[in-house]
Amino acid sequence: MRVKINGQEIEAAAGETILEAARRHDIPIPTLCYHAAFGGQGHCRLCLVEVAAQGDKRLVASCTYPITAEIEVSTSTPLIERLRGDIIRLLYRQAPGSELMQDLAREYGCLDEFITEDDREQERCILCRLCVNACTALGASAISAVLRGVDKKIATPYDEASEACLGCGACAHICPTGAIPLQDEGGNRTIWKRDFELLPCEVCGRPFITPEQRDYLIARQDDLDTGLLCDACRRTRVARQMEPFR
Amino acid sequence: MTAELRKEETAEEFHKLIQGYPPEKRYIIPIMHELRRCYQYLPRPALEMLADHMQVPFSQVYGVATFYKAFSLVPKGRVNLKLCDGTTCHIKGSQGLIDEIYRTLGIRPGETTGDRQFSLETVNCIGACALAPALIVDEKVYAQVSNARLQEIIEQNRRGEDGTESN
Amino acid sequence: MAQKAIDPAVRILVCCGTGCIANGGLEVLAALRSGLAHRNDMEVESSDSALATGCHGLCAQGPFVRILPQDITYCRVQAKDVEEIIAKTLEGGTLIKRLLFRDSQRKEFISCRQDIDFYRHQHKIALRNVGEINPDSLDEYMERGGYQALRKALEDMSPDQVIAEVIRSGLRGRGGGGFPTGRKWLSCAATADSPRYIVCNGDEGDPGAFMDESMMEGDPHSILEGMIICAYAIGASRGFIYVRDEYENSVRRLEKAIKDARARGFLGTDILGRSLDFDIEIVRGGGAFVCGEETALLRSIEGEAGEPRDKYIFPSEKGLWGQPTVINNVETWVNIPVIIAQGADSFASVGTESSKGTKVFSVVGKVLHTGLVEVPMGTTLRRIIFDIGGGVPRRRKFKAVQTGGPSGGCIPESGLDMPVDFDSLRQAGSMMGSGGMIVMDDRTCMVEIARYYTNFLAGESCGKCTPCREGLRSLLEVLTRICHGQGNPGDLDRLEEIGETMRLASLCGLGSTAANPVLSTLRYFRDEYRAHISQKRCPAGVCPELTELYIDAVLCNGCTLCVKYCPTRAISGQVRQVHVIDREKCIRCGECVSRCNQDAVLVR
Repeated sequence: MRVKINGQEIEAAAGETILEAARRHDIPIPTLCYHAAFGGQGHCRLCLVEVAAQGDKRLVASCTYPITAEIEVSTSTPLIERLRGDIIRLLYRQAPGSELMQDLAREYGCLDEFITEDDREQERCILCRLCVNACTALGASAISAVLRGVDKKIATPYDEASEACLGCGACAHICPTGAIPLQDEGGNRTIWKRDFELLPCEVCGRPFITPEQRDYLIARQDDLDTGLLCDACRRTRVARQMEPFR
Repeated sequence: MTAELRKEETAEEFHKLIQGYPPEKRYIIPIMHELRRCYQYLPRPALEMLADHMQVPFSQVYGVATFYKAFSLVPKGRVNLKLCDGTTCHIKGSQGLIDEIYRTLGIRPGETTGDRQFSLETVNCIGACALAPALIVDEKVYAQVSNARLQEIIEQNRRGEDGTESN
Repeated sequence: MAQKAIDPAVRILVCCGTGCIANGGLEVLAALRSGLAHRNDMEVESSDSALATGCHGLCAQGPFVRILPQDITYCRVQAKDVEEIIAKTLEGGTLIKRLLFRDSQRKEFISCRQDIDFYRHQHKIALRNVGEINPDSLDEYMERGGYQALRKALEDMSPDQVIAEVIRSGLRGRGGGGFPTGRKWLSCAATADSPRYIVCNGDEGDPGAFMDESMMEGDPHSILEGMIICAYAIGASRGFIYVRDEYENSVRRLEKAIKDARARGFLGTDILGRSLDFDIEIVRGGGAFVCGEETALLRSIEGEAGEPRDKYIFPSEKGLWGQPTVINNVETWVNIPVIIAQGADSFASVGTESSKGTKVFSVVGKVLHTGLVEVPMGTTLRRIIFDIGGGVPRRRKFKAVQTGGPSGGCIPESGLDMPVDFDSLRQAGSMMGSGGMIVMDDRTCMVEIARYYTNFLAGESCGKCTPCREGLRSLLEVLTRICHGQGNPGDLDRLEEIGETMRLASLCGLGSTAANPVLSTLRYFRDEYRAHISQKRCPAGVCPELTELYIDAVLCNGCTLCVKYCPTRAISGQVRQVHVIDREKCIRCGECVSRCNQDAVLVR
């Protein structure tokens, strides 16, 4: 299926989203809540583009809009830029503590925004829900989006330490704004109000995995036949195993 | 004049209630409705059992329970004051009643008095705008409630010294 | 008084809509039934002659007792009046003046309902049976032509013909969007997928609206019949009615109706002997305004939090559980049997060029005759609010009417002569919504009203997409500041800017209209905003920080009424002496303003 993005003709698969097609052709569209592993969510609305079809122009979220006809897309117009700037401004007000939002606010020229409430100074979460997706994909589903409206937040049930949490830290790693505190200290990890023990790597001895995550991986992959290795040591070992084939 | 008999909060009662539904996700909300009918709120052990029954993560059940305003996760008072704060009631003075309740009982919407006697919640619109501002206590609708009338209603529902309800 | 036997043909319709129940309607019904049963010498079957009906519409005057065939309507009836009604009216044949409707303008008492202005100007299609029949009786529904449309569709029409008829009628969805109903059906029927589902949206969440409630509790079979006809047209096997959590009576009546319809073979397998299998179940909402949005509603039926999704693919192609789904609002369904029975042309002869048929409005707020009103599309706001609704009570002045619910807009006096339809309201910066109409008088602060709706929506938004969630949060901050007298001159532009972002960038219909209350009040009442910001003054006397109440020394007659009702004892004064309000103690609750018979409490 042929579509035109910013005047450039590209080939897209039917049903593919505008964002996916654009990214394949290195056409940039800014996003905050999109991750290739989970697909489009349509939450942040930063990826708005203008679609023209049958003489009709409208704004759509490119991360969820499926290409089903030969359309013309503009990824940047003065209106779209203004809306993106306003979305950044609104999100920055919500999460002024995040470096990413500070940078974006600077880029879009809205850093001067007056922040009234002191207690929000440290807030970093922009509710993109990538953490929830990561936690679900890993099989723990310890966190979810709770409440609604302006009270919406990401939390464990009852805001208490969750039994389901594996302490794997995937949520913190994927978070674009550094909103999830993860503390590793002296063989212990604290995340979502829960304390975990950290087991050492069999090779280098660095504490790196919680017993809960280890047990989960064993249950899922039958066994950890390569032993309990941290990422760095695992890469070294795999590289060594590959050597004869070079 | 109580709404419905409160059942005992035991694992057996929860189990009986939840097992009455097939383990399909679409029954999560109906089960929450029935829990609410029986206990006026959603007890945590029941929600955990519900998640097990449905084979869905507890966090997801919790997310659903907190999304809908019909469900409370904390126990209600013996007398639950439901104040309509729909548009009509609002422009006819429901905010004044909220203030008056706070002055009298010290609770705001969503709160329960320390002695678990009264709780207050606001609802969006009970569809009885001709009666604004309206207050519902145990399914009974009080129409055109003034501050003075509100005091009477609270007194009527207050438990007397001897443990029986006055009036 | 000449006693005579009660006319055996008498039917007494007691309004048991939610408003009248709250005012004692059920007690009136019970008293009538037992009163009639105790008269041994009469030939009437007491249980038949007095019956509970749905809403009679004029809720401010309820509970109603309507006596047929004489067609006498009594208002504000209480159980203690029943004995007198039986003795004087049913047996004695005389009217009880005190219970009649009093027309305050014409200064006369009216006994026949059709002579009351409130009813005279109405045109009932959707509400044709509400208040006329016992909603629990399938027989009464059928006596008024019920299920004839279904029979006609099944016996004389092909599914395509049914869809064509609905398209030709010009019916547009009554839930707010105004999307052509027939086209929705057509697009669903055109998919290759099955099973297909039908959903009735009865999640009427607009504060101040109760049209759908009145139809669900007053005429449930019309909804079922509309859905069954659609099931035949699009080939659906299952239907769901999603009822707002608070509507207990609606659930009860719909459950009974479904049970009865099954027993008569209108639901179930081989409906009316044809190869049509269809059944309906009720799903209760969880108390979330956003579930009125159709994709959120579908999520809720599936057992999830009601968060909408982008509608680039319509539910008619991928809806409930990913299957083709037709979802229409209660009032839309109720219109279907009429269109099939009487034909599209007859339906399309009512209304305007772009909006056919009638619309039910709930007219509430500062209006004399609070109630339900059904008028042809294109009727002016003035007719609805003044001729039918009786205008603004207590000698106050009309200021604005909010149409379309919380995410509709406020229309000022200059818009009163606008004919109301989907498109005219949108042009005026508001919308039809499901038909709520809230009348406001000069004692309503438009900034505070905008703040109220924004606050409502901030709690009711699903919180998923940025423009809606963060936009509402920012709007609310700014509006609250303005109401507290801390507004800045730049605030108004910022409000408009945020509103525009919400309108264009939000994910669903709630978000894209959520700034309407702010934008429309800014458009028509900008001066009032300016007064709050630059003069630190609330012209309507509502915002406490910007308002001072005082008692006019000339108007006050020293009746002490305000002294008695002041909750903070801020008013001092003896009988027949001018009263004074203590500024320090006054909390501006307005109790004295509404109590004073002399309108002597004024705003500074």
